[in-house]
Amino acid sequence: MKLIIIGFITGLLFGFLLQKARVVRYDKQLGALRLIDMTIIKFMFSAVLVSMVGVYLLYDLGQVDLSIKTTILGANIIGAILFGLGWGMLGYCPGTSLGAVGEGRLDALWGILGMIFGAGLFAHAYPLLKNTVYAWGDHGKITLPQILNIGHWPVIIAFIIIGLLLFVWFERKGL
Amino acid sequence: MPRNSAWSPYAAGALTGVVVILSVWIAGQYFGASTSFVRAAGMIEGLFAPERLEQLEYYVRVTPQVDWQWMFVVGILVGSFIAAVTSGSFRVQLVPDMWQEKFGFTPVRRALMAFFGGVIAMFGARMADG
Repeated sequence: MKLIIIGFITGLLFGFLLQKARVVRYDKQLGALRLIDMTIIKFMFSAVLVSMVGVYLLYDLGQVDLSIKTTILGANIIGAILFGLGWGMLGYCPGTSLGAVGEGRLDALWGILGMIFGAGLFAHAYPLLKNTVYAWGDHGKITLPQILNIGHWPVIIAFIIIGLLLFVWFERKGL
Repeated sequence: MPRNSAWSPYAAGALTGVVVILSVWIAGQYFGASTSFVRAAGMIEGLFAPERLEQLEYYVRVTPQVDWQWMFVVGILVGSFIAAVTSGSFRVQLVPDMWQEKFGFTPVRRALMAFFGGVIAMFGARMADG
């Protein structure tokens, strides 16, 4: 019971920040996909860089567990292409669609209905997918530091440098 | 629409990063949304055909119930509503501005595109486990 209240409060904070940065709306999402407005990339990358440092610090202190997703090339690549196609059509991603409704963008409701339908469709298709896309290129729970055979901090520092260079470039280009 | 009331995406993003850290630390929860759509689909399907919830492996794995992430997703809606209303940027819209510029005021076409886009996006998101 307590956990779902924490979930609600966490979502409340996240939704508040998403709306404050104006990243939930269609124009910003399509702006990023059309490479004319990088607001959501700035938001996402900032969140990733900060949380990456904090989570790994806590991990090193033995305070938290990581949640590493399985790398299955077939499912990851085909799924990502489908997601990208659908995202471009819908103009909202699963989390931001709720935020868009929150700021009055009611066309997101159609997308939410579609996404619930798509989730149900997936549940039905899962047995078929298990023997196909999920069997292609299964590498298990791998991470970049593992593959590169180095510690996680060099990878984190590299990501920070790449992120900051990207931000400088966006600002220079006025994106 | 008061555009100047928007926060810097860097600042809001960095603050979101802090919320992520606290969430992982306090609740052991990483941000996600798409699993909740599977739970919602299971809840709706369970209303019509309860037996399918036991027959379909995916609904057994992702049980149709309200959990941390489900309430997180609901919270996003409420949080965005509060931010929008308090900054005067709440606006009821059936067709986004950018859509209207290209295709005019076509709410039915927009609804169809959003619905089918949603179907494809969620199918892909679940497949890639995003």
